[in-house]
Amino acid sequence: MTGTFELGLNSFGEVATDATGRVLSDAETVRLLVEEAKLAESVGLDVFSVGEHYREGHNDSASPVLLAAIATATERIKLGTSVTVLSTNDPVRLYHEFSTLDAVSNGRAQLILGRASATESFPLFGYNLADYEQLFEEKLDLFMRLQREESVTWSGSVRAPLTEQALHPRMREGGIPTWIGVGGSPESVVRAARYGLPLMLAIIGGQPQRFAGHVELYKRALEQFGNPAQPVGQHSLGLIADTDEEARETWWRYWEPVVRQISAERGFYAPSRERFDMELEGGALFVGSPETVANKIALVARDLQLDRFDLKYDIMHLPREARARTIELLGSEVAPRVQELLAKEAANV
Amino acid sequence: MSDVVFGLDTFGDVPEDDAGKLVSYAQAIRQVVDEAVLADQVGVDAIALGEHHRPEYAVSTPETVLAAIAARTERIRLGSGVTVLSSDDPVRVFQRFATVDALSNGRAEVILGRGSFTESFPLFGYSLRDYDVLFEEKIELFAKLLEEKPVTWSGTMRAPLEDADVFPKTESGHLTTWVGVGGSPQSVIRAAHYGLPLMLAIIGGAPERFAPYIDLYKQAAEAAGTVAHPVGMHSPGFIADTDEEALELFYPRFKVIRDRIGALRGWGPLRREEFDAEVSHGSMYVGSAETVARRIASSVEKLGVGRFDLIYTSGTMPASARMKAVELYGTEVVPMVRDILAGRAAA
Repeated sequence: MTGTFELGLNSFGEVATDATGRVLSDAETVRLLVEEAKLAESVGLDVFSVGEHYREGHNDSASPVLLAAIATATERIKLGTSVTVLSTNDPVRLYHEFSTLDAVSNGRAQLILGRASATESFPLFGYNLADYEQLFEEKLDLFMRLQREESVTWSGSVRAPLTEQALHPRMREGGIPTWIGVGGSPESVVRAARYGLPLMLAIIGGQPQRFAGHVELYKRALEQFGNPAQPVGQHSLGLIADTDEEARETWWRYWEPVVRQISAERGFYAPSRERFDMELEGGALFVGSPETVANKIALVARDLQLDRFDLKYDIMHLPREARARTIELLGSEVAPRVQELLAKEAANV
Repeated sequence: MSDVVFGLDTFGDVPEDDAGKLVSYAQAIRQVVDEAVLADQVGVDAIALGEHHRPEYAVSTPETVLAAIAARTERIRLGSGVTVLSSDDPVRVFQRFATVDALSNGRAEVILGRGSFTESFPLFGYSLRDYDVLFEEKIELFAKLLEEKPVTWSGTMRAPLEDADVFPKTESGHLTTWVGVGGSPQSVIRAAHYGLPLMLAIIGGAPERFAPYIDLYKQAAEAAGTVAHPVGMHSPGFIADTDEEALELFYPRFKVIRDRIGALRGWGPLRREEFDAEVSHGSMYVGSAETVARRIASSVEKLGVGRFDLIYTSGTMPASARMKAVELYGTEVVPMVRDILAGRAAA
């Protein structure tokens, strides 16, 4: 750990319902995200980030645009993505967007680059999944050079070459915080270390502690590449309510149909109550009362030497009131408790 | 004629501070946001931001800046002027503007164009040889996306789409979309073909010479069986307390940028007589509020347009003078133009 522990919120722009069960329109959901980010700031959370998805029910397809509106509606909270699908974006356009976001937010922009677990963006933007690895590798190289060098000459196979190209508006010196999001591939972990970029672990199922090896690998690799220590974060799904029971029942009601659909599409496990209980107990779902969730976050923070934890709080059709309650409790109750537990932990070492 | 829409346009030129020093890009972008907030407060109907990829201009992604403006304004329409569709992806453009539309409660308007600047072509890997076909194909795809139903499309300039549904959907079911035209009759006919409103970029010469384009648009719309919407025009200018002050602020700075761009396009350096002619009866709206109001009213009447946008930045005009120009436009110029058009004041 690098000293401070950050708690963030992450949304995939999923449509909410209201108290009467009415499904919000896409546009209403977009505006709800702005309100939720303001709420996150008011309860003291450190980061608000949105994903990038291209399917019905998700409204985060233009994440930098969303974040720019949040930027002028807030003052302090950091604004990021989780994740930006670099493989199917253009690094030049991305540079422009995040440079602009950094300007309108007075230097609060950051992003997490990933290869994405959802693949909708490949056919939509005319990319071949067979190029998955090369697209990411080349585009990361270009994107980091655009941030770190003022004038870039570059050529590769996935995009047109650039000759002594300077981009405008120019980003702040050295660029903005750029994380690499990984789902479990050791190659991705080593790549993050090679570029000297912070690492975000997407842990959406199973025991988080199984990623301890990834963290060790990352730290060793950073050292071998001669790069300074970098923060490590975890992104997981969850919901916080006043009691464990309430949180679990609400979650199950909205999570079960989503997982059933995704499991059919991607060949994951089908949801079962038994599996759900396992995830709650020692797995990757952070669902429960503030105390339960705080304890669980503090435990993984210790075991994985985390510097940051992002809770993905929206699930399809989850009522907006339940979303707001999660945000409030994460900021007002979970955050102080986690900090307290981590301080105790540090004092005992 | 009181329903004429009045807007302000900028490319996000990097301005000077009061000491004459250029501000940072980040500051230049925040300046645009502040000006849009002020424009909203003083009753300007619309603001449109251009997309450029040159060191003089801070706005390269209009929609990102528009989103920032959306959260701080209530009423003003938020447009691009123009989005260079040829070197962008129609699917992304739709997603970005549909998001601005949601954030602003339906105030987004995209103005699609081919761009008079060509920097975006090499930057994004497009060939200028494909200038026409890029725009033609992409506007065809964009028109399909505007229906907000799953799209099946194929062409030569972009990967095909099969039953692709794009999100977010707009609340109104229709994203306001214009076509920006600089003087190509073919582009005018294309706008009419798709039933999209036309925005004329009139940046030099007598405005009247664009009357035939407006007639052509109406005829083409009739022939295509589409609606001929009220036509818009945008032209450069600047407003200060007096004619003298406005000219003094505008001319030397405008000449620098005009000559720099002109050199790339094979124009000779701007001469003062040419400039003065533009100001007195051409397409430069520079002066006191009253001078500018009279000139705008005259152009709006002569061309019968339904919208007039003033490009209020052309060079490094100081940030404070720009704010003043925005304020004067909203508080004095627009009400005066409306009065003249309604016959309440002498032209």
